[in-house]
Amino acid sequence: MEAPPVTVMPVTGGTINMMEYLLQGSVLDQSLDSLLHRLRGLCDNMEPESFADHELVYLLKGQQGNPFILRARRSLAHPTAPWHLRYLGQPEVGDKSRHALVRNCVDVAASHSLPDFLNEMGFRMDHEFVAKGHIFRKGALKMVVSKLSRVLVPGNTDNTEPLSLSYLVELSVLAPAGQDTVSEDMRSFAEQLKPLVHLEKIDPKRLM
Amino acid sequence: MGVTCVCQVPVAEGKSVQQTVDQLHKKLEQLGAVKQGSFFVDCETYHATGNASGQPSKLLYVMHNSETPLSCMALFEGGPYLTADANFDVLMVKLKSHFQNAKGHKVESRGARYRYCDFLVKVGTVTMSSSARGISVEVEYCACVVPGDCWNLMKEFMQSFLGSNVPEIPSVFTSKPEGLFAPADCMDTMSQYLELFSKVRKQQVLPGSSVR
Repeated sequence: MEAPPVTVMPVTGGTINMMEYLLQGSVLDQSLDSLLHRLRGLCDNMEPESFADHELVYLLKGQQGNPFILRARRSLAHPTAPWHLRYLGQPEVGDKSRHALVRNCVDVAASHSLPDFLNEMGFRMDHEFVAKGHIFRKGALKMVVSKLSRVLVPGNTDNTEPLSLSYLVELSVLAPAGQDTVSEDMRSFAEQLKPLVHLEKIDPKRLM
Repeated sequence: MGVTCVCQVPVAEGKSVQQTVDQLHKKLEQLGAVKQGSFFVDCETYHATGNASGQPSKLLYVMHNSETPLSCMALFEGGPYLTADANFDVLMVKLKSHFQNAKGHKVESRGARYRYCDFLVKVGTVTMSSSARGISVEVEYCACVVPGDCWNLMKEFMQSFLGSNVPEIPSVFTSKPEGLFAPADCMDTMSQYLELFSKVRKQQVLPGSSVR
């Protein structure tokens, strides 16, 4: 008889501290096509993957300090796919010479009971939006070009209104902590997209 | 996943936990069950720290099962339940200022995994802070997903090695309309283990029960 299939220990991926390296920018709607054209030429996948996601941002307020933020995302195009729960840490203050924003990142795939479960944990939904766009890849680099829309009636993703007349452009890489060479690769890739889009290291705290 | 029943088996009179487990193994082997590796189920308890409303908060349980090694199950007693990947454990570390891990409350059940035709049987020693607290027996009938259709068969099979210790049909099944059993996840199994673990947590430490 064959060896039993289930005796393996679970993979405890928990020990690896993953960081997200991020550059952001935006293009006006009328320049979208030329940016997509350029990305098609530069990236691995000739035709980009399209996506339509609904993101809910949850806050957990403690007795003191900043609220704890979690982002729950579900695909509108693939309603049976698992939910995606994401924790993003505070941006590292780090050295000024680093080209990208670096922050801690935990990605969790979760079942559809996620919103109920977060509510039970004490999280409350703060805001929600719909993101529609395209994903490109080049090695470990991920380029996301998306249109953000506000949800007019809470929970109803059919009734949305664009937030602006432009598309958000994000270049990101997930890597274990300390691998700062990836920010070099990101910078050179971002250089190749100029002058169509200027990707910058943007501190989200500055915008709040 | 089929239909699963988890129950606690009392320690035989005059015997230790280990001796009772050995006895069960022997009975299963006599039946013709084949040992197929080992298994474990564990459960950690978290409680919310900052409770603004001042009301006692519900406990959050995070569980793992060797049968689904890449998943992590999070439960509140009575629901809701969440199935997530193993990164959920990392998230709980990040959440430590809001949810504290009650370290002394970690309960687990470890033991041998037997297969007998369409049945999977797992006999585990339930331990809490390295002292044996009892014995769990999990029986899964893999060929059916409707509890009402196979409960009598399962009961008869369990009688063959548990004798009079056969439990009643688990309440997770009776509270559900028949035929609507969702076999895709192991939440029914986990909530039965959770119930067993909470019972074990409240019970007195068995004399002379340190784990070898």
